[in-house]
Amino acid sequence: MIKCENLQKRVPMAGTELEILKGITLEIKSGESVAIIGASGSGKSTLLALLAGLDEASGGSVTINGTDLGALDEDGRARFRGQHIGFVFQSFQLLPSLTALENVMLPLELQGQSNVEKQAEHYLQRVELGARTGHYPLQLSGGEQQRVALARAFASRPAILFADEPTGNLDTRTGEHIIDLVFELNREEGTTLVLVTHDAALAGRCGRRFRLDCGALVKE
Amino acid sequence: MSMTATRMLARDWRGGELGVLVMALVLAVGVVSGISAFTSRLQSALVQESHRFLAADTVVSSGRPLPEEWLQQAEEDGLQQAVTLSFPSMVYAGEDNMYLASIKAVSDAYPLRGELTFGMQPFGEVVPAMTGPRRDEVWLDSRLFSLLDVAVGEQVTIGEKEFLIVAVARTEPDQGSSFYGFGPRVLMHYDDIPATGVVQPGSRVEYRQLYAGSEAAVQAFSQWLQPQLQDGQKAVNIDEGQPSIGNALDRAESFLLLAGSLAVVLAGVAVALAARRFSERHHDYVAIIKSLGATSATVDRLYGSSLLLLGLIATVMGCALGFAIQAIFFELFAEQLPVQPGSSGIRPYAIGAVTSLTCLFCFAWPPLRRLGQASPLRVLRRDLPLEGSRAINDYALGLLALALLMWWYSQDWRLTLAVLAGLAVTAGLGLGLALTLLKGGRFVGMSAGSIWRLALAGLQRRGMANALQVVIFSMAIMMLLVLVLVRTSLIDEWQTQLPADSPNHFMLNIGPEDVPAIEQLLGEEGVPREAFYPMIRGRIMSVNSEELVSTEDIEEQRRQRETNLTWSAGLPQDNTLIAGQWWPADSDQALVSLEESFAERLGIKVGDSVGFLVGSQPLEAEVTSIRALDWQSMRPNFYLVFPPKLLASYPSTFMTSFHLETEDKAFLNRFIRLFPTVTVIEMDVVIEQVRSIISQVSAAINLVLVVILAAGALVLIAGVQASVDARMHESALLRALGAPRRLILGSLLIEFATLGLFAGFLATVAAELSVYILQTYIMDMRYAPTLWIWPVGILSGALIIGSLGVFSCRKVVSVSPVTVLREL
Repeated sequence: MIKCENLQKRVPMAGTELEILKGITLEIKSGESVAIIGASGSGKSTLLALLAGLDEASGGSVTINGTDLGALDEDGRARFRGQHIGFVFQSFQLLPSLTALENVMLPLELQGQSNVEKQAEHYLQRVELGARTGHYPLQLSGGEQQRVALARAFASRPAILFADEPTGNLDTRTGEHIIDLVFELNREEGTTLVLVTHDAALAGRCGRRFRLDCGALVKE
Repeated sequence: MSMTATRMLARDWRGGELGVLVMALVLAVGVVSGISAFTSRLQSALVQESHRFLAADTVVSSGRPLPEEWLQQAEEDGLQQAVTLSFPSMVYAGEDNMYLASIKAVSDAYPLRGELTFGMQPFGEVVPAMTGPRRDEVWLDSRLFSLLDVAVGEQVTIGEKEFLIVAVARTEPDQGSSFYGFGPRVLMHYDDIPATGVVQPGSRVEYRQLYAGSEAAVQAFSQWLQPQLQDGQKAVNIDEGQPSIGNALDRAESFLLLAGSLAVVLAGVAVALAARRFSERHHDYVAIIKSLGATSATVDRLYGSSLLLLGLIATVMGCALGFAIQAIFFELFAEQLPVQPGSSGIRPYAIGAVTSLTCLFCFAWPPLRRLGQASPLRVLRRDLPLEGSRAINDYALGLLALALLMWWYSQDWRLTLAVLAGLAVTAGLGLGLALTLLKGGRFVGMSAGSIWRLALAGLQRRGMANALQVVIFSMAIMMLLVLVLVRTSLIDEWQTQLPADSPNHFMLNIGPEDVPAIEQLLGEEGVPREAFYPMIRGRIMSVNSEELVSTEDIEEQRRQRETNLTWSAGLPQDNTLIAGQWWPADSDQALVSLEESFAERLGIKVGDSVGFLVGSQPLEAEVTSIRALDWQSMRPNFYLVFPPKLLASYPSTFMTSFHLETEDKAFLNRFIRLFPTVTVIEMDVVIEQVRSIISQVSAAINLVLVVILAAGALVLIAGVQASVDARMHESALLRALGAPRRLILGSLLIEFATLGLFAGFLATVAAELSVYILQTYIMDMRYAPTLWIWPVGILSGALIIGSLGVFSCRKVVSVSPVTVLREL
């Protein structure tokens, strides 16, 4: 379960402080799928970064399954991410020097697992890329790269999957295919899904929605 | 963790990320170990070559017989040995002819190093000899054939023994330069000495024991020998034997060490630049793996072990490259370097390995270590600034490491400090000047056309990075210019020291009545000569009325000694006054001018009074000046010079030196017949030997320069590469917006050429300064500013950096902007 109380983020800017998040409080239950929506600059990505432990809050707290992320240092949060969290990014974030298979193996190797190749192959087949395992990201289309990223995210069997505008760089049809896959895998693996988007249709497929406006939650 | 460093390295290698870093490291190790191996092999070859002047690897000399046990000990140590004995003695031919000759008796093994040559005709063709004279036989100097009126196959007598003349003695490797007072050479066998009966206790003789063998054996023997040496017994090494060679080798060694030290610096800078770029390009990579759960320690471990592995691979490859470089050099230039190079041993490769590890941990590791601190937030926000705040500490650490490396490499802290000071001045002044000039450039650029505006705006936008780049470029160019300048003046100086027409023969014992006739004869033959100098034998008896001891023991510095005196109205050519004043041309006062080292040995200063015995007449003179002179000039040089009027009444002979080509040497036969009492000393072979060594050293220096130029080019390439990403990104955007090829390439050319121009200017200023310091304080050479280096330094900076920059970014106009942007 993700619990966030009075979460704030401020950054220094031209001698003053810019308040990006103004005390967010929310709860997301295990297995739930939620969408965080809002206009550009509303603070969606910042909220996702704090919920996923990619960044430190200026105030308030984030607790995931009883672990207060604010009490962990960067290395503690990294270990926590490795064990509990998966990511899908708008710009895919595959490592260009690794093949599709190696990209999927990477988080498993970081967890120190063995037999990682088989598991990685399984997830690549699951996203219909079983024939492209030896290809480098630059040899894959945008949709294919995002499918590799999905395979990588689910391969480590995370409790929570954070997806940041996963279709933002894709055409509508490819985007829909990716989203179908996200929801299918989410169901199969029983993952909690937190999705950041400004696409209302996509948000509509989630169980709940949180709307952000100028760094504050507004009623949906 | 199952993802081993090996796999990560292999992946990075496949991705092409490691290329520049590996190449920089391999070249660093290759250049350093290659130069080090090359110079150490060359030095051993040159030392070997210079041993020819000793006819051995080490020599002990004494005026009294040397212990036989030393020869036995040398035998046990596996060394070859030979003995010689030199002394003056009369040589008789028939009833009427006799002449005071300089006899040298040699054993069978002589010479151990170098070549003994003979001929069948006086002054005729020179032939290498396998051994010296056998028992009962002698070889005579060319002059003696005329003086004694003998020919090969006839007899001469020395002391109580008759000898058969079998050959003309031409050259000995160790004939040396101390020829004053010696007559023409007679070579005989050592075992014939007792039969002559001429060597008696108290005779003026020089015993020598010669040893040669492997370097280690010679060194071990020398160490054993040193404590056994008694008063009057002296071990001779190459530096004392031949000052001109010793000097040339010392300077060449300084140059090579300077070159090697600069190679270390260049290598370090190249690795630092490559690692910095590698690190910048890996920030996103690390952000991703950190978002996937990697901790800083995991990242450190990954990059640390990768770097170690990379270091090992690069070291092995670099050592192999270094080995190949020196082997190719010796192979390619075998003819220029006729001496057989010795083995380099393990040290050069150890230096290469330590350089590699130092470069890795002081230059490559700091930027990579910062990767561990990279924020995972970059996966969401790529515009986050890179971790770079501790870069200054990295440079300080790197500088310290460089200083230690250079010191270890050159074993010379003065050289290290000079190079570091030069670099520090370049960096400090360079940064300030570069920033100022770049700002000024922007101001000018505002009113210029679009290509210029674009280029100058680019320069100013990345002001600090550009200033740093200018400093790095100027350091590399400065080091190259320093090497070129030092090399040029070194080789020039050697060439002027022994110009092609420098005197190569000396003429002594010319009677005053013969001077006009000889002058005329030489003039008619077109033989170029120096002035005739009067020579009077005199003996120093006292200093400031204190009697000096009367002994022939050469170890006693402050003793009576006989020497040649001369007179001169003006300061002799090539002499420099270092204390006191020269006398007026018509002075008739009792004054004397002393040579520096002579004055030092006797502890004499300007103002002291010195007592002489000239013939049988005492002479007391006041020291008015001390002179430094160039003993390598091959001109007549004198320890003691007096005003002409003072010595004019004493009986004197004259001497001169002249230049004679090999093909004109038959002239000497005619000359000796016309002037039988004149002593002619041939120095042409010795001069040729000196020249041959100097030309080998020059060739070596040129080769090393080429290698360093390659290392410098690598720094320039790495420097340009470091800034290519940002420029490519901007150029791709401009291209996408429709900018024509000419505008993009033109502005890139201007941008890089401007950086190169500033760098070239700074480099030239700093190079002149460094060369001044190096030549004046370290290499003991005369400094003169070099005008041509200014246009060359500045323009080549602009040209090279400009072309490298455009070449590195050429892709931006040849492939689509999308491809460029995707790959960045």
